[in-house]
This record gives sequence, structure tokens and C-alpha cells, in this order.
Amino acid sequence: MFLVKLALKNLVRHRKRTFITAGIIAMALFIYIMIDSLLIGINDITYNNLINLESGHLQIVNKTYWEEKDELPLDNLINSDEIKNIKFTNIEGFKGLITELDFKANLNNGVNGIPIIVKGINPDNYKNVFSLNKFFTEGEMFSKGDYRVVMGEKLAELMKFKTGDYLTLLIRTKNDTFNTIEAEISGLLNSSNTNVNRNIVYLPLDIAQRALNVEGQISHFIIKLENKNIAENTGLSLEKKINNINDNLGVYTWSELEAVTFLKAKQSVNQLILLIILVIAAIAIINTVILAALERMEEIGMMKAMGLKIKEIIFTFVLESTGIGLLGGIAGILIGILGVSLLNKIGIDYVEMFNIDMASFGVPIIEKFYGAWHPEAFIFVFFFGVFVSLISSILPAYWAASKDPVEAIYHR
Amino acid sequence: MNLLELKDITKIYQQGKIEVPALRGIDLDVKEGEFTTVFGPSGSGKTTLLNLIGCLDKPTDGVIKFTDKELEDLNKHELAMIRRFNIGFIFQSYNLIPVLTAFENVEFAIRLIDGKNEKEIKDKVLKILDIVGLAGLENRKPNELSGGQKQRVAIARALVKEPKLVLADEPSANLDSKTSKEVLEVMVKMNEELGTTFIFSTHDPLVMDYAHRMIEIRDGQIFADKKGEANDVSS
Repeated sequence: MFLVKLALKNLVRHRKRTFITAGIIAMALFIYIMIDSLLIGINDITYNNLINLESGHLQIVNKTYWEEKDELPLDNLINSDEIKNIKFTNIEGFKGLITELDFKANLNNGVNGIPIIVKGINPDNYKNVFSLNKFFTEGEMFSKGDYRVVMGEKLAELMKFKTGDYLTLLIRTKNDTFNTIEAEISGLLNSSNTNVNRNIVYLPLDIAQRALNVEGQISHFIIKLENKNIAENTGLSLEKKINNINDNLGVYTWSELEAVTFLKAKQSVNQLILLIILVIAAIAIINTVILAALERMEEIGMMKAMGLKIKEIIFTFVLESTGIGLLGGIAGILIGILGVSLLNKIGIDYVEMFNIDMASFGVPIIEKFYGAWHPEAFIFVFFFGVFVSLISSILPAYWAASKDPVEAIYHR
Repeated sequence: MNLLELKDITKIYQQGKIEVPALRGIDLDVKEGEFTTVFGPSGSGKTTLLNLIGCLDKPTDGVIKFTDKELEDLNKHELAMIRRFNIGFIFQSYNLIPVLTAFENVEFAIRLIDGKNEKEIKDKVLKILDIVGLAGLENRKPNELSGGQKQRVAIARALVKEPKLVLADEPSANLDSKTSKEVLEVMVKMNEELGTTFIFSTHDPLVMDYAHRMIEIRDGQIFADKKGEANDVSS
């Protein structure tokens, strides 16, 4: 107990140094918590953008189509009534089901043309899965059978289109012949998904099927669930049911998309950044313990003369460092809670702050960044701070405690 | 009975490529209850001798026995235990722990050997502080004490655990003659009542006056070893 008392007294011996070291640890933990919160927040927004505007939670497609999906082939499509016998309303967390026919086209304004993706959709139920309607800045959604399209404002700006203008879509049909679709622009969008804003044109499904010569066929069934966390389990049970009808069909979750895989791969880089932050905290602690040991060499010598064992001297140093770690950990958690609260409430408007487009970095977000609560990160950094303080002090403490007592006492 | 036996002790310090002999062939026996001073000019090897006797250092050559145990055979842990239970040190530079009060500095030494009886520990610490003239200053930290007061705390710390052997390196260097005398009286009392063995390294004639035995060291060798009664210093 007396050694505990001594360690605690040493902790307040140099208040400034204790405060600064604990402050460095707290700051490192705070930065970790903030970056972690921001990264999770960005991921959440990114995933939600993908789910709410592009992928849905589950997609039912032909397995061969899935392997070639980046090419948007017109082979291996599905009949739109293929799974009509399945009662989706019985599926846990089911919110909506739509059909979609995706294909490549060349968008032409009479002067220039650019490659784009066209989504043939049913305007009557599209809102059951995708929240496109709330992003209209001009015009309206088309109706079935209309030769009308909806596109992103950015794409329209690029091609110098406005609502009411006519465009030409140059397409390759199922039979490998060229065809064109002349359509009027019925509405423009400015969504939170840059891909939707820049690369996609929406067209009535029946018009698309007719033009591509794939009548009654679609590329995807897309399903919306109550939340993304149940997608995997629901997908597995749904696939069993679907395979009873057609075992060429597969059910794929939003997280199997390449965009998500890419984002997840980027997270390992983020983890590396977070690790560097934690190493800085460890160095601060080691530095403090070494300084404390050098400063107290005579004292350590006296302790040895009094008969303290090496492990008892190490214990006092380690306890002192652990105390610093505890102080830094608690402070880091407190300012972390404050920081994440502010981040969640105010957010970061990166466009206003840095005038950059995150789409250039592969992040399909055009709105503010918000953090996300990640309790595990708080628990992790707290214990990390304490643990690193404890571990990083052992070696310098051992060095000090192993000093020859005569050398220590006479400071030789 | 011999508390200490030193046979042909040599200690050589290595300073770069140069070997500096500090002790050359010391033979010495110290009986339990002796009150001994070691004196000699600076650099003669007094402190080195005390460090070897106190298990703080090991000789380059020779054999040291403490209560019939050969120190050579003991590991660091065993040596630490000998220091903890049997030896009290008083250093010229006090070496008090700055964050602890006078009471706690003394308490620390006794806690290492007895951590259970709170009241007994408190009484012992207060008593020894009273004996060394620090009653009322128990709660002061070292930076709130004068040099003499710090040395008294260091002396109290060495004596409180009633060790078999007290090694004191210039213990009176920072004390006035009145306090030196008071403290030496305490040591004499402990020596007489408890049989504690004292070995001083000193230049102070007052300390030598109290000694039963005076060992003069010159150039790392025992030059003279005088045994006899202490002088009458009561006046």
C-alpha cells in the first residue's frame, strides 16, 4: 500500500509534467475518437447513399450476370414475373421491391456524346425502394410509357441540357444492333449521391425494354429492408426460397458491391493512421518515464539501499505511469464525447471549408460529413491509453531499477 | 561473535582504460555491538568500504561475510533482503524522498519490514522523530526542512527499523555540534540497549570521541586500527 501511496504522490509531484503528458495522451485519444467517428460517419453516409439511391439492401440477379455486372450485359436477364410466387411481405424487415433494367448508352446533345448508364425503372413503385423523388430540383418524374427521362443536374449542366430539352440515347440492343431513344427531359435531380448526379439517366422500364428488344426482362430485382444490418441474414434465407424456383438466381447484399469492398479496403489505411496516433501517445509516456527515472536516480539508489526489490521499484514507476494513462484516458474520453457530440450536431461542410469535391476521392457524398457514435472506440482507446502507459513504462522503469545502487546514489 | 568479516578485500574501479584501486587488501572483523569509526583523507577508500559492507557493491577480490553468510554467493534479491532487514544507511546527501513528509520518509523504512501493526508503526516513527529532535515537524516535506533537519530525518529513517548494522557516511556533516551530540547519544543508546553495530565514515572529532574503535584508512589500506573505550563526552 505504501508503494501505491508513493506512486500517487509522485503523480502530483510534477503537476505540470503529469498534466502535459496526460494532455498528450488525452489529445491522441481524442484525435483517434474523432477520426474514428468521422470515418464511421462518412462510411455510414456513403453506404446509405449507395443503398438509398443505387443498390438497395438486396439485389436478385442472375448469377452469371452478377459476375459480369460491371459490363451491364443484356444477356442473362431475368423475366420480370420470375419470382411472382414469392410472398415478400412475409420476409422479415421487408419494405419494398422494384424491378430495374440497367444498360449502357451514349448520351448525345446533338454536338457531343458521353457514355452513361441508363436505368429503366417503373416510376409508380420506384419510391418504394429509392428516395429519388425528394431530390428533384426541377420538373417531375415521368410516367409509364412516356418518352421522357430524368437525370442529374450535373450531367445536364455538362451536356448543356435543361428541363424540356430533348436528348438522344445511342444504345446497342440485345441483338447487337444499334438503336436510339429520343426523349424529353422531364426532371433534374441533385441528390446526395454523385454517381446519380453525374452518370445516370432514368427512363421508363417499358420504353427501355422495347428499345433494347428485351421485352418482359429486367436485370435486377431490388429490395429495401428496414435496415442494412439484417441484409445478410435475410439475403441468405431469401436465396433458399428463390433457388427453389430458379437456382440460376442469386441474392446479393449491398455490402458485396465493389464500391463497398473498395471503401472497406480503404479502412485499413485509416487504421494505420489511427495506429500512428496511438504510437505518438506511447512515445510521450516513455519519454516521461525516462525523464522521471533520470531525475530520481539518487532516490532510486536510496530505495535500493533500503532494500527495495527491483520489481517494487518498477511497480512504483509503472503505477505512476498507469495513473497518468488513467488521467489521460478519462480526459480523452470526456473531450471525445464532447467532440463527437459537436461533430454529430454541426457536421463538417467540407465544400465550404476546403472547396473540394469528395467525388474526386471516390467518396460519393455531396452533403455535410457527420460523425457516428462508436462506443467500442471509446472503450478501446481508454484501455489502450492505460495499457500503453503501463507497458511503455516497464522498460525505462526496469532500466532505472536495475541501476547499480552505488552509481545511482552517487549519480556516477 | 563477528557480524562482519572482510578478507583481503580489493576494489578496483575502471575509469576508461585506467584501473583505479580504491581498496587494496583490506582485512577486517567487526563484532556485533561495535561502535566504530573509519577515518582517513578524502579518496582513501572510506565510502567504498562502507558500500561493500552495506551490500551495495561487490569487491573486485576477497571475501565478505555478513552474519557468517558469504555475500559473494547471494543474488541481487538476497542482497536487497539483507539491506532491508539488517542494515540502515545514513548518507551525507540525505537522499530523502521529496514527495514524502518527514514522518512518511521514516515510515517507509519500517513499512518495508512490517506493514501490519499501524499503531505500533506510528508510535515508533513518532518516537524516533522525537528522539532526533523533529517533534512537531513530522508533516514537513524535505524542501521545508533545513539541512540539519533533513539529516535527522535520514538518521531516524536508518534507526527506526532497529537494524543490526547502521552505516553512516559523514552523518554529522550538516549538523551543528549540539544536534550532532544529541543524535550520537541516540545512537549510543541504541548501541548499548539493542546491541546495534555502528560504522561511521567521518572526519568529525566528536563522532570519533564516541567510538570504541577507530580504523584509519590510507590509500585503500588499513593504516591503524585502535580499539578502546570511548572518550567521556558527557560534558
